[in-house]
Amino acid sequence: MNRVAITGIGIVAPGAVGIEPFRAMLDAGMTSIRTIDRFDTAGLSAHTAALVTDFKARDYILAMKLRRMNTLSRYAVSAARLAIDDAGAQPPSESGVAIGTAFGPVQTSVDYMQEYVAKGAALAPPQLFAESVANAPGSHIAIELDLRGFNLTVTQRESSLLAAAMFASSQIVKGTVPSAIIGGVEEVNEMVFSVLDRLGALAHAEDGVSEAVRPFDRRRNGMSIGEGSAIFIAEGTPSRQPYGWLAGFGIARDTTATISDWGTGDAQVAAAMAAAIDDAGIQLSDVDAIYASANGTKRGDLLELRAIQRLFGDSVPPVVATKAYFGEYAAGGGFDLAAALLAMRDQKLHASLGFGERDPEMRFTPVTVPRAANLRNILVNSISAGGGIVCAVISREAA
Amino acid sequence: MRKPDTSTRLAITGIGIICSIGRNRDEVWQSIVESRAGIGKLTKFPGETFPTDVAAEVGEIDDLVDKRESKRMSRSDLLAVIAASEAIAQANENASPLPRERAVVSTGTSTGGLLEGESFYFDRLVRGRGRVAVSRVLQQPTSGPSDAVARALNLGGGVLSNATACASAGAAIGMAGDLLRSHHADVAVAGGSDALCRLTYSGFNVLQAVDENPCTPFAADRKGITLGEGASYLVIERWDDAVARGAKILAELCGYGATCDAHHPTAPHEDGRGAQAAMRGALAESADAPRVDYINAHGTGTLLNDSAETKAILAAVGDAVPVSSSKSYFGHTLGASGGVEAVITVLALQNQLAPPTLRLDTAAADCTLDYIPHTPRPMAMTNVLSNTFGFGGSNVSLLFRRA
Repeated sequence: MNRVAITGIGIVAPGAVGIEPFRAMLDAGMTSIRTIDRFDTAGLSAHTAALVTDFKARDYILAMKLRRMNTLSRYAVSAARLAIDDAGAQPPSESGVAIGTAFGPVQTSVDYMQEYVAKGAALAPPQLFAESVANAPGSHIAIELDLRGFNLTVTQRESSLLAAAMFASSQIVKGTVPSAIIGGVEEVNEMVFSVLDRLGALAHAEDGVSEAVRPFDRRRNGMSIGEGSAIFIAEGTPSRQPYGWLAGFGIARDTTATISDWGTGDAQVAAAMAAAIDDAGIQLSDVDAIYASANGTKRGDLLELRAIQRLFGDSVPPVVATKAYFGEYAAGGGFDLAAALLAMRDQKLHASLGFGERDPEMRFTPVTVPRAANLRNILVNSISAGGGIVCAVISREAA
Repeated sequence: MRKPDTSTRLAITGIGIICSIGRNRDEVWQSIVESRAGIGKLTKFPGETFPTDVAAEVGEIDDLVDKRESKRMSRSDLLAVIAASEAIAQANENASPLPRERAVVSTGTSTGGLLEGESFYFDRLVRGRGRVAVSRVLQQPTSGPSDAVARALNLGGGVLSNATACASAGAAIGMAGDLLRSHHADVAVAGGSDALCRLTYSGFNVLQAVDENPCTPFAADRKGITLGEGASYLVIERWDDAVARGAKILAELCGYGATCDAHHPTAPHEDGRGAQAAMRGALAESADAPRVDYINAHGTGTLLNDSAETKAILAAVGDAVPVSSSKSYFGHTLGASGGVEAVITVLALQNQLAPPTLRLDTAAADCTLDYIPHTPRPMAMTNVLSNTFGFGGSNVSLLFRRA
């Protein structure tokens, strides 16, 4: 059996820096979504997001290097340092780096264009241009840690992190590299926030219901977005007791999806979940929990719940939705996987924050109170607006 | 999980391309044969002043796309859909149709729909946040081209977007090959797309990396890159599936190597250590230790790249392998370059004709290989490498074999 161990996790999250503070936040059922003070939301429908605040990059990165890094690179390099501390050893130089990010360096591009307008095309700062590529965070990680294996960055909306994990895992089982840094990174900025708001994608106050993310809830009306970085140390042969093992992946696309929304192709979502379960070498009945993609959007959550019911019928395992803790896109999708790996390590399911009343089509109720559970395999979903789907299975055992 | 099995042979059954020397593969190859470059004065962004004004532009493409389909696409999306459509049409010629529901799209792009994002940004400055239509910016994310191709061609096997700077499309093709070899997909439509935009045109200029004249890779007097745009896709299948469909096999994708210099955010390692390892990695994916007959180089025309790549080639395969840079025809298509040049490499294999490095009168003292100057060279080629390297020190080398 080819599985990949996760032996270290580094977290720079809204409200939590480090894996244990992140665990504490999940265990306490605390959301990190707050009223935005980074930019003006006047005139918009939504006013909240999950923003990284109590974090000092200089605790992890030398000042002279810090000047060369944008916010994404600072989050990712710091999270990589934390992941190595957590794992207890640095990966060997032959290791690869695969990073996922949904929107990547949008803010750096905006900063560059501001300078372009102010100073002219010939005098914009080269340092901003160097950081305007989406792979800058992965590149800085490689330079900082002298990692010379593959180094690539996947940008597939909500599926970015799992797509990066899928690639990195395939290279470890193929034998190209002994280990890899898998990670995700994201930054909340005014441009992305205001466009999503204009599209009606963000959770907002409506008909006496307050602005909040409500995954799978019948009152849901949108997502909140988040930021930060999650970095995972992945090894073919673990150097310590792992959190869990990446055991299988499935990929598909919902051909009914529109450019900026979810479609109705629950059969294709179910096929991706089934493919991940098959790739892990397990049966449907071996799945002990689902960490869902559900983000509080009307169509996205409906699509996923239909797919879960299509695949599992009346035997749906416990379902946990984590997006109300840290928002959509946060860490490029990395916090979802981190939460599932903590569940596996601690053998404990988290509460689906934000859920209160079932969607009328639901025949299952998400987990609402944290509880101990015997977790052998957890299915982790990422279902993107626009149709991309990547699912993963994480397992407790190496085989 | 199933591991990518490198003994599983991969067939290329379709190629599509659009760049400054042609709007389809026949036009592109004709330009290659006739040593005709597609580099001229920059016509985009009128009224804006840049330190240099040379570019390899594609020109108008409105006549190549369905207007109803194209309304919500970026220029990078449109270039991608044009090239992918050509590739899929060729793969389906005189063969059972491709299983589209099992076809994954894997695209490399550096900036995606940033050109439209820039316009959106300028409009917002003038008109205010709430007064500019957001439909124009929906395709700004670098996931745009993959999503657009999958939507336009109704492909259901998944979408992946690789934003690894100028190594993006090479990485996207390598990734796609592994998805086929691990049976996560049955068909891959893999390549890259990048439209010229202000940020890249201005950015490479402020880095002083742009030649004021058409680029001359490996030349003694080289001064930098020429910025280009374009898209290309390859249809890749497992060999046995392609045979079973009755498809014509154009070439074989034997494997790839992907590495990182871990050296500098924008400059390559001076000895080309990562590039060397990428070529070795690609060759290692073929069990028979193949002899390389030709290398389609990254060859950007910058002082650092061409010197480092030459050292890397010398170390990886020696000094006897002819090398050329197709960027002398159509400039640096950035995130698309790995795909555009992969298609050129496949065409070279099919035609047994190596494209030259145009305008190369005198090679630099530190560029000591045979760079095939000026005119195409007929030669027997079985195994060839196509190199792409990018910002951040990412390197990808693809190994192709004559079918």
